Amino acid sequence: METQETALPHTMGPTGIAQMKRVISAYTMDLLHWAYIGLVSYKIIYQKVIMDMRDPDFSWNEPVFALAIGAIIALGLFFTKFSVGRAVKGLYDLDENKSIMKEPFTLLGYFTIFLTFIAGLFISQVSLREFFSQAGMLGAKRIFTALFNPNFGIIEPAIFAAIETIYMAFIATVTALPFAFLLGFFAARNLMSSSPILFFIYNATRFFLNITRSIEPLVWAIIFSVWVGIGPFAGMLALCLHSVSSLAKLYSEQIENISEGPIEAMTATGAHPIQVIWFGVVPQIVLPYLSFTIYRWDINVRMATVIGLVGGGGIGTLLMQYQGLAKWNEVGLLAITIAVIVWVMDYSSSKIRESIK
Amino acid sequence: MTTQTQPILSVEKLNKVYPNGTHALKGVSFDVKKGEFLVVIGLSGSGKSTLLRCINRLHEPTTGSILFEGKDITNIKGSPLRTLRSRIGMIFQHFNLIPRKTVLTNVLTGTLSRTGIVSSIFGIFPEEDKKKALSLIELVGLTGKENRRADNLSGGQQQRVAIARALMQDPSILLADEPVASLDPATSHSVMQYLKKVNEELGVTILCNLHFLSLVRQYATRVIALKDGKLIYEGSPSEIDENWFQTIYGEDAVEVTID
Ligand SMILES: Nc1ncnc2c1ncn2[C@@H]1O[C@H](COP(=O)(O)OP(=O)(O)OP(=O)(O)O)[C@@H](O)[C@H]1O
Ligand SMILES: [Mg+2]
Repeated sequence: METQETALPHTMGPTGIAQMKRVISAYTMDLLHWAYIGLVSYKIIYQKVIMDMRDPDFSWNEPVFALAIGAIIALGLFFTKFSVGRAVKGLYDLDENKSIMKEPFTLLGYFTIFLTFIAGLFISQVSLREFFSQAGMLGAKRIFTALFNPNFGIIEPAIFAAIETIYMAFIATVTALPFAFLLGFFAARNLMSSSPILFFIYNATRFFLNITRSIEPLVWAIIFSVWVGIGPFAGMLALCLHSVSSLAKLYSEQIENISEGPIEAMTATGAHPIQVIWFGVVPQIVLPYLSFTIYRWDINVRMATVIGLVGGGGIGTLLMQYQGLAKWNEVGLLAITIAVIVWVMDYSSSKIRESIK
Repeated sequence: MTTQTQPILSVEKLNKVYPNGTHALKGVSFDVKKGEFLVVIGLSGSGKSTLLRCINRLHEPTTGSILFEGKDITNIKGSPLRTLRSRIGMIFQHFNLIPRKTVLTNVLTGTLSRTGIVSSIFGIFPEEDKKKALSLIELVGLTGKENRRADNLSGGQQQRVAIARALMQDPSILLADEPVASLDPATSHSVMQYLKKVNEELGVTILCNLHFLSLVRQYATRVIALKDGKLIYEGSPSEIDENWFQTIYGEDAVEVTID
């Protein structure tokens, strides 16, 4: 008897708790879903579209009220087939023969997407009137004429700026590489879950990578341009930081997908852990790493162009200057230069990546 | 003479419980004598791989002890553990060679435990090790394939490279975890013949997991059988009759042969 009593919660516990968690998150999903539907319908569809209000009043009571309504509706519909949360969490016993596309929760999902689309049209102020207005057409004509009559007089500074951009991207990629290489190992679950200390390092690394990666390079460029002054160096730092976190993430995923066999074999020969990684892990990852890195350089060239727009140097900065002076023929030449660089990088990087597969 | 009778390996009351609660080995005890070809049989999931991996400590035994050449190795760590592993060769069902590396490099990885970390990373191995690697490649019949990529060889050839790699360690015992389970019958025999040669000519003790009883009868000098993690048979291969067969593999089992 005694053994049974102690054994029961041990075996039942985890699955019961997991089920509870699923139900709770399904309900939370439904609640937020209904609150969203309520809020969007009222604030955008009703106030903006139907009543045509320019600046409807906003009070924080509205979202709170929406949440309350959402909680009630979600509770009311949780045990019907209208619960999207239960569908997402796999809590329905579905009839295998009936198409999931016709279930009530799927239709509700379609409705939400449709609602979001309508709201989106109004929020982004899609206006065909302005698109085809006389002033608009004149502006378009002016810029397109200039773009198709580029001023080749500035080809020299344009090429120098382009070279600056490509080098900036290259240096950022190369500098990021060793850091990303190391962090990739720390962020690989299969290598780091053998002891609590390693697992802590794994989580800390993941956290750091997620934070730095979720901040756009453009924002980093602004931060660094305050720090080290406006110019290519700030842009380079921004790209570098973002490359470290993106590459480390890709690298670690690659490490997580390698086969355990060679690692086991190397460990069995009595090799040192560093040798195990060098012979058991590295040969399995070099080519994918190379491929990711070249692709990253390609991405960095594009990003370097954009970063130039906020003063990160290179061709983007030049573009910004001419645009500020409304010199559209020069802008035209720069646009062509950028298109050529991007095309060349894209083409050559995909060719190289194909050949090293 | 006393060294002849002293077992090279003794496993005593070995228990292994995996973190998920699976009790894979239950009080397993047996000795491996020097120079024998001991085969472990048992159904899938009976704990054969676990047993082999506890011996070179790829898996940690939960309780019990393992004596190798008279020394208790159940709890050693770090550098002594690596030295121990270098004395125990291992080959695997899926060969576990390093992809994209040549046959020669793969064989040379057998010396990692005695090669410096830095020089091994730069691929610098002593001349005598290279000579030895070449002679072992010859021993397993792969002369001329030294510079081929290991992953471009056939399964049987890859397993022979793995044997050469294990021999590079100068092991006194070789663990083989279902070495022929992913090979066709003819290739299986060829690989088993090489293991037999290693056993008889080089005097390396062999502890091998096998699936097919026909192979067991042909190559084993002694057999142990596991069932649900327990050792249920220990004896010569010829003593496994119909009754024992059904005890080991279950009532409904029918023997399948491999020629
Ligand atoms: N890493 C692991 N974690 C948890 N359980 C494991 C692990 N490895 C093996 N087991 C379990 O331990 C038991 C014994 O497995 P083992 O691999 O040793 O059997 P085996 O005799 O080698 O089988 P097979 O012939 O299929 O290779 C099985 O129930 C298996 O599911
Ligand atoms: Mg096995």
